[in-house]
Amino acid sequence: MDFELSDEQRALHDSLTRLLSDRHDAETRRRIAASPAGWSEPLWRQLVDLGLAALPVAAAQGGLGGRTEDLMVAMRAVGRSLAAVPLLGSVAMPAAALQAAGGDAAGRWLPALAAGDALLAWAHDEPAGDGGADWVTLRARHDGQCWRLDGCKSAVHHGDSADRLLVSARLQGDDGDADGRALFLLAPDASGLQRRSLRLIDGTPACELALQGVPAEPVAVDGDAASRAIDAALAVGMAGCCAELLGAMESALALTVDYLRTRRQFGRLIGDNQALRHALADMQVSLEMAHSMSLLAALQADAPDAPLSRADLHRARLVVDRHARLLAEAAIQLHGGIGMTEEYAVGHVLRRVLVLETVCGDADLHVAEIDRSAPWNNSPARISSSV
Amino acid sequence: MNLDLTPEQSAFRDEVRAFIRERLPQDIRERLRLGYLPRKQDTVRWQRILAERGWAAPHWPRAYGGAELGQVERIILLDELQRAPAPVPQVFNINMLGPVLMKFGTDRQKAWFLPRLANLDLWFCQGFSEPGAGSDLASLRTAALRDGDHYVVNGQKIWTSTAHVADWMFALARTDAQAQRHRGISFLLIDLKSPGVTVRPIRSIDGAHHLNEVFLHDVRVPVDNRVGEEGQGWDCARFLLANERSGIANVGACRERLDYARERAARTRRGGRRLSDDPHLRHEMAVLDAELRALEVTNQRFLLTPSAQAAMPAFASVLKLRGTALQQQLHGLLARLGGAAVREHVDDEEVDGVPHLVERYLFARAGSIYGGTSEIQRDLVARTLLG
Repeated sequence: MDFELSDEQRALHDSLTRLLSDRHDAETRRRIAASPAGWSEPLWRQLVDLGLAALPVAAAQGGLGGRTEDLMVAMRAVGRSLAAVPLLGSVAMPAAALQAAGGDAAGRWLPALAAGDALLAWAHDEPAGDGGADWVTLRARHDGQCWRLDGCKSAVHHGDSADRLLVSARLQGDDGDADGRALFLLAPDASGLQRRSLRLIDGTPACELALQGVPAEPVAVDGDAASRAIDAALAVGMAGCCAELLGAMESALALTVDYLRTRRQFGRLIGDNQALRHALADMQVSLEMAHSMSLLAALQADAPDAPLSRADLHRARLVVDRHARLLAEAAIQLHGGIGMTEEYAVGHVLRRVLVLETVCGDADLHVAEIDRSAPWNNSPARISSSV
Repeated sequence: MNLDLTPEQSAFRDEVRAFIRERLPQDIRERLRLGYLPRKQDTVRWQRILAERGWAAPHWPRAYGGAELGQVERIILLDELQRAPAPVPQVFNINMLGPVLMKFGTDRQKAWFLPRLANLDLWFCQGFSEPGAGSDLASLRTAALRDGDHYVVNGQKIWTSTAHVADWMFALARTDAQAQRHRGISFLLIDLKSPGVTVRPIRSIDGAHHLNEVFLHDVRVPVDNRVGEEGQGWDCARFLLANERSGIANVGACRERLDYARERAARTRRGGRRLSDDPHLRHEMAVLDAELRALEVTNQRFLLTPSAQAAMPAFASVLKLRGTALQQQLHGLLARLGGAAVREHVDDEEVDGVPHLVERYLFARAGSIYGGTSEIQRDLVARTLLG
């Protein structure tokens, strides 16, 4: 067992943290969020120059190895800066899916992703879905000449900036079946595709897709390959969310510590009050739990086939999501009125938490998956209702 | 980074498991599963079996009956013992006094006491708390006045676990009333058979007798039984408390209780259905499962990673806060599952086959009080953040 970052990971962490703290202060973040695109291409180019886009891609495809623990270091720094960066959904998750699927599409798109020359959007969630791997109702059929897709996708992050959309679809079976899923690439201007652009509560640009007979390029139409690809993307997505949330938690805690050290009331620092000190201590405890689970998720994401890994990924998401919410709420409370203002970063952490809580499944899904992995004696029932 | 055991460590885990499976007396295991705390005779019997491998004092030098285990092996051994469930080596002897003697004791003290501590020929209890000195331990008033080759000790200790079955007590006493309060304290080993020692039981809210008051009236303690220099008692106590860290999270004990809760839920019918079919209960257990995993990884991360300890010097407080909170939740859950066992306490010289779950829930309230209350732990964490 070894929990230390490698020298390379530490160097990546330091250079990334330096760049983001120099180039991405709170004012810059607000300006970028208010721009029409909702994210900053110049900032992204600088991150690409540091090698960020190459991190999730295997060396054979022009990347830096594709290890999730390296990606975790990057996502944690991104989370700390609260930057809207299309690294996770538009590079890392599609790269994981393509690598697992293999084939022509992988050969074409992975080098472009690694070089920062292309962005793909991950389009898997559906309006009535549970965020899990198996829920796919969007249908795919072959009309003799090409594949055509019909259905809806929701919460496609950075979908308007993507060169291609990576869409999960169903060839056969019922809505929640593991079997019968497939993956396709489609062009953002394909005929029959309607995109509705929207902004999520934290300002992240996203879109919803409505597809009617949209022609698409197959990435994985053999069920096993599609399963592997979707699982791989979701594993990387879950671990990436954990790391980003960890970074966001660190920034909320640091802001709170600073505030408790400077704000005076009743003639003394508010950080001298035991009630506030104890609330701060609980935030630190939450942060430590999230930190450990973020490391666990990153390591398990690189072995997503093992049953223990899958359960651990859901455990990690559940713990990190819960503690991120607790910590962000406490950070606002300890700031008092200033924490409620839109200009101040601590409220933005809570908005980010709300968005990331919905990426790659929500708490109900994580609970159901943990429960499914539990060693129940002669009790096959699976919980489905939320509590 | 990796979370894997080396082949040697995996082999060690297998060896420990096999040893416990073959050698742990079934009656002891059954008592512990039903929620009883180990009796003195259980701990003595089992610890002498563990001593065959040096596992009675896992981290001690071989010369004193230990096995010189490294930190990973210690974590593995404790985890396997707790999950069995089996009694753990007597903490006052092995985790507290033993290391203090090795660091501060004379050669004669080491040679005479250490083998007897390891083999439980002597059972020690801890005489720290006093009626006026709980969290504020340094305000203790028990006095030890020098009279030739002896100290004459007068005072009162309280909350002294197992004093009624103990042979000896290590205690803090004030040897210099004039010195600054931390400096006037010495660390004494007191034979409880000495004239002037009176042990009086305190019944706790679980109805049982774990705790005692110990009255010391003109008790003569040879100066040879002082550990360290006169006035060095506070240093000994701090060193002792720092050594408590490796078992402070109690992860294995929590995991064992969760497994037992699942097992009971699966064979308990209430209102026409098995408790394990109750989605609320399963949700609660899934959350505990995930939170427990976070505690487990955090425990490993801190105990094995110097840089993590440096980043959060109060890491032991983090582990104790979270560990005791989860233990209390688990015992609360089990008390609900064992509803039929809400009956008046009867002193349990024999296992009566009735689970002791409600009593354990009641006694678990002590977890966040002894060894530094949760409020003290939060103070310590906050001090690392705010100064």
